[in-house]
Amino acid sequence: MAMQFSKTLTLAAISGASLLLFSACGSKSKRQLADDQTLHWVETADLPTMDPSKSTDVVSGGALNNVDEGLLRIGQGSKLRPGIAKAYHVSKDGKTWTFNLRHSKWSNGAPVTATDFVYGWRRTVKPSTAAQFAYLYNHVKNYDAVNKGKKAPSQLGVEAHGKYQLVVTLSRPQSYFKYLVASQAFLPQNQQVVNKYGARYATRSGNAVYNGPFKLTGWDGTNDTWTLKKNDQYWDAKATKLKAVKYRVIKDQGTWLSQYQTGKVDELMTDGTQYRHLKTSPDIHIRGSASMFYLEFNQRNGFFKNNLDARKAISLAIDKQSLTHNILADGSQAPKGLVPQNLAKKNGVDFADAAYVKSGTTYQLTEARALWRKALQQSGKSSVSLDLLADDTPNGKKTVEFIQSQLGKLPGLKLITATVPFNVRLSRSTQGDFDMVVGGWIADFPDAISFSSLFTSNNAYNRGRWQNKAYDTDVKNAEGKDANNPDERWNDLVNAEKTLMQQQGIVPLYQRTQAQLLKPYVHGVQYFPTGAQWDFSRAYISNHQ
Amino acid sequence: MAKYLVKRIFYLLLTLFIVITVTFFLMKLLPGTPLQNQQKLSPSQQHLILKQYGLTKPVWQQYLIYVGGVFQGNFGTSFQFSDQPVSYLISSRIGPSLLLGVQAMIIGVIPGILVGALGAIKKNTWVDTTTTIVSILGISIPSFVLAVLLQYFVGLKLQWFPIADWGGFSYTVLPTIALAASPFADTARFTRTEMVDVLNSDYIELARAKGLSKWGVIYHHALRNSLIPVVTIMGPLAVNIMTGSMVIENIFSIPGIGEQFVKSILTNDYPTIMAVTIVYSVMLMVVLLITDIVYGIIDPRIRISGKSN
Amino acid sequence: MADEVKLPADSFEPLDKSKHLDSEKIAAPNLTFMQDAWRRLKKNKSAIIAMIILIIFFVLAFGSAFFSPHNPNAVNPQLANLPPKWPGVNINGLNGTLVQAGSRVNAYQAAGAGAGVHYWLGTDYLGRDMLSRILFGTRISLTVAIVATAVDLLIGVTFGLFSGWKGGWVDNFMQRVIEIIMSIPTLVVVVLLILILKPGMSSITLAIAFSSWTTMARLIRAQTLELKEQEYVLAAKTLGESSIKIAFKHLLPNLSSIIIIQTMFTIPSAIFFEAFLSFVGIGISAPQASLGTLLNDGQKNFQFLPYQMWYPAIVLSVIMIAFNIFADGLRDAFDPQTKG
Repeated sequence: MAMQFSKTLTLAAISGASLLLFSACGSKSKRQLADDQTLHWVETADLPTMDPSKSTDVVSGGALNNVDEGLLRIGQGSKLRPGIAKAYHVSKDGKTWTFNLRHSKWSNGAPVTATDFVYGWRRTVKPSTAAQFAYLYNHVKNYDAVNKGKKAPSQLGVEAHGKYQLVVTLSRPQSYFKYLVASQAFLPQNQQVVNKYGARYATRSGNAVYNGPFKLTGWDGTNDTWTLKKNDQYWDAKATKLKAVKYRVIKDQGTWLSQYQTGKVDELMTDGTQYRHLKTSPDIHIRGSASMFYLEFNQRNGFFKNNLDARKAISLAIDKQSLTHNILADGSQAPKGLVPQNLAKKNGVDFADAAYVKSGTTYQLTEARALWRKALQQSGKSSVSLDLLADDTPNGKKTVEFIQSQLGKLPGLKLITATVPFNVRLSRSTQGDFDMVVGGWIADFPDAISFSSLFTSNNAYNRGRWQNKAYDTDVKNAEGKDANNPDERWNDLVNAEKTLMQQQGIVPLYQRTQAQLLKPYVHGVQYFPTGAQWDFSRAYISNHQ
Repeated sequence: MAKYLVKRIFYLLLTLFIVITVTFFLMKLLPGTPLQNQQKLSPSQQHLILKQYGLTKPVWQQYLIYVGGVFQGNFGTSFQFSDQPVSYLISSRIGPSLLLGVQAMIIGVIPGILVGALGAIKKNTWVDTTTTIVSILGISIPSFVLAVLLQYFVGLKLQWFPIADWGGFSYTVLPTIALAASPFADTARFTRTEMVDVLNSDYIELARAKGLSKWGVIYHHALRNSLIPVVTIMGPLAVNIMTGSMVIENIFSIPGIGEQFVKSILTNDYPTIMAVTIVYSVMLMVVLLITDIVYGIIDPRIRISGKSN
Repeated sequence: MADEVKLPADSFEPLDKSKHLDSEKIAAPNLTFMQDAWRRLKKNKSAIIAMIILIIFFVLAFGSAFFSPHNPNAVNPQLANLPPKWPGVNINGLNGTLVQAGSRVNAYQAAGAGAGVHYWLGTDYLGRDMLSRILFGTRISLTVAIVATAVDLLIGVTFGLFSGWKGGWVDNFMQRVIEIIMSIPTLVVVVLLILILKPGMSSITLAIAFSSWTTMARLIRAQTLELKEQEYVLAAKTLGESSIKIAFKHLLPNLSSIIIIQTMFTIPSAIFFEAFLSFVGIGISAPQASLGTLLNDGQKNFQFLPYQMWYPAIVLSVIMIAFNIFADGLRDAFDPQTKG
């Protein structure tokens, strides 16, 4: 009981603090609001869908985060703040979560109720929706059975108690469930609207309703401009200063820079060269993301299976410092392990430091060559030809070319490289059609498990099929028996990470960090390293004429 | 004439049919599905999604459905955008592409004719040399290089026109120039050769002998007669512009069909790739048909018989 | 008819044979067709200059396989994105400095490069020598273009010869095939083929070849139709010569000028196509480079590192210009009657 109470309290305290912080910030600088409260934002890809059940990409994720609101919201510093839920409490066994909702409205004036959450969640989980991120619900009671169609959607562990209370039953405790309910896959959905538009639901801006700070306009489903307009029905609309966020898609990095320089757009995500030349600009904001790019080895069969020396040799032969500092040079950091830095902390210690295994990420060419010779001996070959697969993004290409030149120093290794479109890379790596592949992952929520769960033996994202019993046990304990014991859970995950790096199940390459140029008159844009990344609900434009 | 037209349109439809068939089966050879995250879906869910896209039927049935659909303007559903018919994707993007294409054609061909004619009239003078150099440059400098240079010097440094995006007329200026360079150069070269030929012919001599003024001869006889063959290069020019638009639209962030094509290629959106292929072919075939008809009308020497070659 | 002039035999007087022996003699040396063309070509100064430029580029590009200032694929992460530096030259743009964050800095010093280090055309984002990359890229671009043109020639000439020679319904059918192929924009064909063959040097070459042979085939067919009515072909036929022999001994030599001219126009368009596809991102894949991929890489940073686009762009344009001028010259030389 004490625990429930304290949690409710913390949340209230945080929300109070953040409000205070905001007003303090506003008054201190005495910035005058510009007349035109329009923010000009850029995406590099189109908006594919606005259906929360179908969104899988960062563009729609970012848009949904601003036009819709779930139970909680992620704010600055990855702290949670209240969303549609005013408060919540968790039962002692960690399995029952009760959310008390505020009175709020959809953009069409209809009330947002607990039923909307129940409906939205069931819709995401039920098999006929085929939602690709439904697995995030895997701790919710009866998820497996419902998702496989063995039980009716109504059996999912979520129910409405009256109009404004939502009760979620989990099958096992999940300390980070609070972060999940702040993500797109857990947004409420209005059944009437979904039914009205059927298959055309959320395929254009008019075919959906919104309950967040903004509403989407001017999107016909395929065009490359769209606008977020202030949602007057939003419960906290008075805190929203922006009148509109105008989005446009720009694919060419050079064009984007010119557009920024001439003031057509208000932000620019720099690439390596631009960053190098604009480093000293006062507009620069460093945007670290909880993402990691890493090299996976195909361990189904073939050269890397049961060949630790070979995996270690590859890792030791790649100079990650040089990759991040000289090649990508966009602000990205050299990794300490799989779990990115600044993702999770305990008592002031970063997870990445706690689990740091130096030999797993270091560069040591002589040792690499010696190990590689041993590895070749073990496999009984004098030379080996391996292929390396990666995305055809600018960074993907740079990484591949760099790795190729680095691995060229290993005796008897012939590397064949291929950079392919994202979809092709995914399907080839899922089918195991590679020797080495450069993959990446961005944390869905600020907890190490978001990464650690990837490399358990049965995880579908473990494309190389690396298998280790100790690792599986540690992750299983963190998700099961130690789920409600933060210290034990932390140790489990740290141990798992150490095992992964000692066994060189993968080779971490770089943690993505980008430098953003933001016009000096744009304030209050919130960035977070996980999930949807952007929140404009508190942003405003100061007078700059 | 009517008989000829019927025959031409029959061939056009036959060609279209073959194009559809070939692209359809080529696309079937390629890997890739509408599933973005297939490892997280159960086989039955994967089946469900594929079913929505009509990909669970036998290939021959898919083919028949596709062909039937195309002739009703239905190109299937995009893999890239959720639940968006490809036909909508194309119809909403064809406007900017057509506008740019027509503008580029006009500002390429008309100055091209003038410059080419000028070169021929002033043959072997500095005027001729200059126009030749300009047209050789136009052919030799890739449109994408020109686009980047225009963007930087005219857009960013001089700030005369918008650098990118799609809005009013001013937004079309730089991309149109980048697209028009190559048709301009082609037309200029072609016109010059034709004009030189015509100016050496007997009827020009005759006209001169009859005492017509120099410019009268050029306007009434030379220009008109050398323009007729220029019509025949409209087809290749149209192809030229379509090709160019793929990069130009990307560089200038224009929501056109060429930009969509590149995007579809890079995301393996096969239904869209097929549809754009078909649309491009139709556009080219129509241009070829029109030029043939126009050619027949303006040149009395050509009698359309279906055997014209 | 009415007034018949009667000329007696003795009104004619034979000339002295020894005096007029030379009247049938050809004073100039006997020129073959090729020699004659070469003589005409030599008079065209710009064509000769273009030819010399092309020869220089070919020698440099293909010679760089054996002697190259640096290994074009050698990565030097510390020396990435260095601007051109010429020893002893102190002109901005050639002295190893560039404008960074508003002020001109010595990039070589900043990168910790030794005093003796200088890259004539700078380095790219991986610290690879641009000059070697451009030579390497030119080699690949030229190779793709020439191989594609050779394949195009093989298909086009065979198709055109066969179609023209056979005539009748065979010819009619083959012409319809060409018409169909020609009404699909080349680029679309190329893109489809590349998607199926997977991007790479051989697939791009094949794709370009397969989509550009139609023009050649048409020209050859038209010429063949004309040639096969010539007396010497009829004579060969009558004498029982086989069709293949006639094609090789009689038709091909007479088609050679068309083939050569058309080839000279096909190569630059193949170079352009390759550059275009690589620019779009479906051409040559890393670590191989072509002029197109170099342009694509350079274009992104044009504002800060203009030299990375300028040099490949200049090389590409000069090659294209030279080919076009040379092809013009050849056409005039081979066949002054042909119009373009």
